[in-house]
Amino acid sequence: MNGYNDKLYKILADVEKPARYCGGEWNTPDMTKPRKADMCFCFPELYEIGMSNLGVQILYDVINSDKDFVAERCFAPAADFAQKLKEDNLPLLSLETKKPLKDFTVLGFSIGFELLYTNVLYMLDLAGIPFYAAERGDEYPILLAGGPCAVNPEPFADFFDIIVCGEGEEADLNILRIIADGRADGASKSEILKRVKGVEGAYVPSLHKDGEKVVKAVIRDFENAPYPEKPLVPNIEAVHDRATLELYRGCASGCRFCQAGFWYRPIRERSADRCAELGKNMIENAGFGEMSLCSLSTGDYSELERLEDILIPYCERKRVNLALPSLRISSFKSDMARHSRKSSLTFAPEAGTQRLRNVINKNVTDAELDNLAEAFEIGYDSIKLYFMLGLPTETDEDIAGIAEICKRLKGLYYLKRHKRGLNISVSCAVFIPKPCTPFQWEEQASFEEMLRKQNYLRSLLREIKGVSFSWHGAETSVLEAALARGDRIQSKVIERAYRLGAKFDAWTEQFKWDAWTQAFADCGLTMQEYTRERSVDEILPWDFIDTGVSKTYLLKERELGYKEKTTKNCREGCNGCGALKLGRCTVC
Amino acid sequence: MLVLKYVKRADSCFISHIDLLRHVSRILRRADIPVKFSQGFNPHALVFFSSPLAVGVASIAEYLAVDTDMNGGELFERYNLAVPVTLAAIETFECGKNPNLQGKITAADYVFDTPFRQIDLSGFQIEYEKKGKTVIEDVSDKIYGSTNADGRFALRLASGNTSLRPDRILSELGKRLRTNLALSDICKTAQYVGTDGGFEDVDEYLKRV
Repeated sequence: MNGYNDKLYKILADVEKPARYCGGEWNTPDMTKPRKADMCFCFPELYEIGMSNLGVQILYDVINSDKDFVAERCFAPAADFAQKLKEDNLPLLSLETKKPLKDFTVLGFSIGFELLYTNVLYMLDLAGIPFYAAERGDEYPILLAGGPCAVNPEPFADFFDIIVCGEGEEADLNILRIIADGRADGASKSEILKRVKGVEGAYVPSLHKDGEKVVKAVIRDFENAPYPEKPLVPNIEAVHDRATLELYRGCASGCRFCQAGFWYRPIRERSADRCAELGKNMIENAGFGEMSLCSLSTGDYSELERLEDILIPYCERKRVNLALPSLRISSFKSDMARHSRKSSLTFAPEAGTQRLRNVINKNVTDAELDNLAEAFEIGYDSIKLYFMLGLPTETDEDIAGIAEICKRLKGLYYLKRHKRGLNISVSCAVFIPKPCTPFQWEEQASFEEMLRKQNYLRSLLREIKGVSFSWHGAETSVLEAALARGDRIQSKVIERAYRLGAKFDAWTEQFKWDAWTQAFADCGLTMQEYTRERSVDEILPWDFIDTGVSKTYLLKERELGYKEKTTKNCREGCNGCGALKLGRCTVC
Repeated sequence: MLVLKYVKRADSCFISHIDLLRHVSRILRRADIPVKFSQGFNPHALVFFSSPLAVGVASIAEYLAVDTDMNGGELFERYNLAVPVTLAAIETFECGKNPNLQGKITAADYVFDTPFRQIDLSGFQIEYEKKGKTVIEDVSDKIYGSTNADGRFALRLASGNTSLRPDRILSELGKRLRTNLALSDICKTAQYVGTDGGFEDVDEYLKRV
């Protein structure tokens, strides 16, 4: 332990939730082993958010399990702690050994959401590290980024030396080996970056040439891919404070708005036996009181029944609550819900009418909604429904369809039960045209139109008793869309917004819309330039990434959407998206 | 009913009491300790704590009562294999019934380093914020005793239903010295149950109930 420990302890007493900053969690790996290089995982959000991130837990485990490397963690500190650091002239430190970030060989940022971009700069600022890769010499760590936002890394490309496009389990280790060897040889940063450029999934912005492709990194042997069987147990309550068991990667549904559904192809399932083994090990090693089965559409997992047969009795014996989120209505099984506590069910029809669900390829039919009658029969009194507003071709009739669904469910409920009354919670996000989806060329509804749609739906839902309505802010949705389809110039916008006080943009109370609009204006840009409809001939900033799914396929899907025609689930037969070239799809 | 006496120090002293409750249920699960549960819609493990410790204050005298049929030696061993050393158990006691420590404890000893040679605690006033308002309180009746040897200051303070937080004393002393005394330097060293006109160390109390 270095001399920062005592200094840190002195300020912890004056900050809120000090356990965010002191580390020492159960299952922390050995931090004293000899190493060729060390890496600090930086998560640009608060501890309780970051500790819920499965990606960070997986990669942290992968690196610490390697004999040559050590990984530590650092999360974006809350304002009170950041203020104390500045007052005491302390740099941002890692949790495990309280080491300044700038003393690591590599800093790896996990960027899962566009509204975290300013927090990357916030952390670098507190760490005393220049923002732009071009401004950092060999004396600084090599900065790596990864995570879901690497689908379009251009807005933050100038800040990083390397960006991992795709899955990091193998790519991170390969890159770390090259960096460690390079440092041992006395190679310069630019020489090391040249060597890294050949690694699958590695995008080196400073060396990238027009026309070059970066092939997304994919774990081919998902069955045996590393998984954190000894997950860190958070010091304070994390937002997802439980053992998370990933059943499969990818999704067979093909919802046309869903970036994850296309990005994580090919679909790779883990066997029920392996999943059960991992799940049990996590409970034995961490002691969590809850286990969630996690994947993009858990209900579609092909060995779900077998997995339940193993896990349900195990969880009952260990008094562990088995949670099943992210279910599709079409795959709802009352058997499954029967074994959970009857608190609340969550479903995502996404659109109010069959027509619009066909456009977005959300294969839920009105008849399937009737499946929920079974849930009411076995004791559920509360249901959460997720929808999206502003989808391509949406009309007011589609919005009214959301209210109709609520009425239909209430009717079903009273046919089965008459006691407490059904609580329906409707949550509406705003459609954001995301890169690497069939809707990547779409225009986003204007700010005014979004507000009108939200108000219209609110007025309809207000008339139905027992329905609560929450919606995603129009401002943050516009910004998210602008950044999601952003280009290289946006690094200046992000820096400007940060200088104007923007950080923790995902937090409603901290979001500074004015700072962002001014930042775009100061750089001679508007958000509308990024939320407009794109021509299919236009070269898009993320076109250089080969995700496996061809552009032709995305265009074909878009056209089918306009014709209100659905595409079958990949489990019913291969649709030929192209992702097979990156690895075997285990369901088609 | 078994009672574990455990420490809470270093990084762990920054874990709040509420978070500690969550940790203990996980510790008992991963240690595979067969704890008895309450009945009802939301069954909970039958474990009982001594009074909450202020966040940031260390302790070598915390107590956790566990309703289990396991023997004390095995509980001690399994518990210690499932916790970081900063929450290690140091002793176990076997009791016939729940000792209700939270209700019975009336005082606790704290020690910390101080540059003061002598501290006059008569009429000692502290100032703190409560619900947005500044409160000035004479706490001399909640200070049951003090010693000062070699710069190491020991206080016996009210604890339990009527309590005095040691961090508030430290903060007041810091103001007088015009320095910021670190909260993490305070350590709770013993807890007491009230007797007729005196105090009985919880360790002794647990041996006889």
